[in-house]
Amino acid sequence: MTSMYLAVAVLAIINIAFKAVGPAILGDHEFSPGTQSVLNALPVALLGGLITVDLLGPKWGDADWTMLPGLATIAIMRLRHAPDLVCILVGVAVTAGLRALT
Amino acid sequence: MANQPSTRATGWRAGLKVGAGLAAGSFALAISFGAYAVTHGWPAGLTILMSLVVFSGSAQFALVTTLAGGGMGPALASAALMNLRFVPMAAATAGSLRGGRLRRALEGQGVVDASWVSARRADGTTDREKLLAATLVQWPAWVAGTAIGALAVPSTGFIESAGLDLVFPGFFLVLLVDSVTESTRLIPVALAATAVAGLGCRFLPTGVALLLASVSALMTLRRS
Repeated sequence: MTSMYLAVAVLAIINIAFKAVGPAILGDHEFSPGTQSVLNALPVALLGGLITVDLLGPKWGDADWTMLPGLATIAIMRLRHAPDLVCILVGVAVTAGLRALT
Repeated sequence: MANQPSTRATGWRAGLKVGAGLAAGSFALAISFGAYAVTHGWPAGLTILMSLVVFSGSAQFALVTTLAGGGMGPALASAALMNLRFVPMAAATAGSLRGGRLRRALEGQGVVDASWVSARRADGTTDREKLLAATLVQWPAWVAGTAIGALAVPSTGFIESAGLDLVFPGFFLVLLVDSVTESTRLIPVALAATAVAGLGCRFLPTGVALLLASVSALMTLRRS
């Protein structure tokens, strides 16, 4: 139990430090064009990674084909400029429907 | 860069709007996290406290998962690796934040994945108000969802049958579609990150796979 409290405290401190160090030290520092282009691309790389990791899980243990049609629905609806919440709700309904049928 | 008051108000409104959508996703994921932690032996109170002070789904899931299967060292390393990405992300916002070192460090705490992505402008700057507003909406949703999950402990079967596990990747996908639509040259980066993460999480801890996927952003160096 004590180790759990300690783990939470240490993780909180690490997390705060990670987010504080750049803004506290760099201030108005301007990055080089190369660094800036990488920073601009980082969100896209991160999103691609997060979606994939979330879908597959450790050792692909969370892989579930019913999520793919739901995500495809979300992507298509978003490309057609549907509001984000509507996209999500329809995608969730597609996946839930497929799970109910299988 | 000093923003005009009207621009700042627009930023807050935009942040609250995008934050509301993201909060729905955070809330659903937090319910599953709360239930997940309690079923892995974590006290409900500590689980809620963790969401309050850490506020990072990926790191929290990593900590609970790894602590269940090993010691505290690997668990903390795994969670820290998961969040290492916040160092460059927060650094990239530095020029858009306000005040001295302490205040910028405090405002830097507003950097969470979806808020940061939605607040990045095409010119590389960050919409400070949008970033902070989007995060301020998600934080209570994350804590409240964790509390419900930890105290009520809905079955993972219910979450899955209702399709609620699609909410978070779904929101990430919406943000990804928006990003690559705005800048199509980043499509190869997204594809590479997806491939690297897919291959990586088959053989490596998911935190490491995520970090490796982030390296795909370096592809832009070759073309810049």
